[in-house]
Amino acid sequence: MRIEVFGTGCAKCKRLEKNVHEALAKSGIKAEVIKIEDIDAITDRGIMVTPALAIDGDVKLMGKVPSVDELVEFFRA
Amino acid sequence: MLFGALQSGIDGLIEYVSQHTLTCLIPAFFIAGAIAAFVKKEAILKYFGPQTKKYVSYPVASISGLVLAVCSCTILPLFTGIYKKGSGLGPAVTFLFAGPGINILAIIYTAQVLGYDIGIARAVAAIGMSLLVGLIMATLFRGEKHMGEFKLLSSGGDKPKWVILSFFLLLGLILVIGASQLDWLVKLPIVYALTLVVAYLAIYHFERDEITDWGMETWDLTKKILPILLIGTFAVGVLAYFLPPETFAPYLGNNSISANLIASVLGAILYMPTLLEVPIIGTTFGYTTGAMAAGPALALLLAGPTISAPSLVVLARVMGVKKTLTYAVLVVIMSTIAGMIFGSLVG
Repeated sequence: MRIEVFGTGCAKCKRLEKNVHEALAKSGIKAEVIKIEDIDAITDRGIMVTPALAIDGDVKLMGKVPSVDELVEFFRA
Repeated sequence: MLFGALQSGIDGLIEYVSQHTLTCLIPAFFIAGAIAAFVKKEAILKYFGPQTKKYVSYPVASISGLVLAVCSCTILPLFTGIYKKGSGLGPAVTFLFAGPGINILAIIYTAQVLGYDIGIARAVAAIGMSLLVGLIMATLFRGEKHMGEFKLLSSGGDKPKWVILSFFLLLGLILVIGASQLDWLVKLPIVYALTLVVAYLAIYHFERDEITDWGMETWDLTKKILPILLIGTFAVGVLAYFLPPETFAPYLGNNSISANLIASVLGAILYMPTLLEVPIIGTTFGYTTGAMAAGPALALLLAGPTISAPSLVVLARVMGVKKTLTYAVLVVIMSTIAGMIFGSLVG
């Protein structure tokens, strides 16, 4: 699984990245986490609100930071 | 001399903290945090799509800063998104100009510290001028088209409208009553009672996660804005010791074209961290003591937060040098005009 975290370095973006790592550790799911900070690269993916999260190239979340448990459910689905 | 300068800085800081922080800024941060946590951005963003009629997207762009632009770090990504993927250059520029002028923290702080007349004038002028700047930019650079996907995801979970409405109404009331001139003996019980009702709503009508979100958003904003504002206010006080506002009075103390133009150009170049424009105008340029006239004060409030030398560099990367310079010139012209109008109305 490839997880991309989009964010320009705002507090929420950092929290999303932290939660993603915690959720992966908690669930034992193996995934590659990539952080994308360049504003042009973010907009090119059609993302309007940061932070955002994509799984295997599909943007799944925008503008909010789910809790660790929600993320675990999310990765399992 | 060093002692005097420090004293001046500390005095300024104490004055702002005691007069404005508790009664105005703390409730304002909670409201801004609630907006960030509870207002569905998708509901507004859908009006920025490439297919949206222009007579819808422009007005929405001019007022949506109220809820979308609470933090300046969200403005640039949204601007880039609207410009490249959504409604295009015009509405994007309108959003960029209006955002910092009408976000809720800015309006409240401006009104509270500098006066209600200039606070309202700032919001009204930001909306009006941003529409003009957006339309002019779109006309000057028409014919360029961007294509791409415009993605929106709904972030589920709907709450009854009355809950959200009464929630924001209560927070607004706490702010207004807290900042009012009422006696403390009257004020305190009312604010206390209102806080209890907010707590009731929070406990029985919101999920635990939502309240955590609210707290996180409020804390994020406070952490980001307050330290810089406090340090900045102190610096403004120290600066006032060496450079009293009377220094600027010959240039900014009247409502002439040149005074308004100087204020606009200053605003366009200087970088002012969120909210710091308020003590800079109040103390450094002496609007509160009468050294700066009303027109230039408004011109500086309008041009200041929307562009600065560093933000122009970033903008140039997004939309190119030519458009960025045109935008900067338009902002200076429009802010000057708005300042002239306000100056003649008040003076």
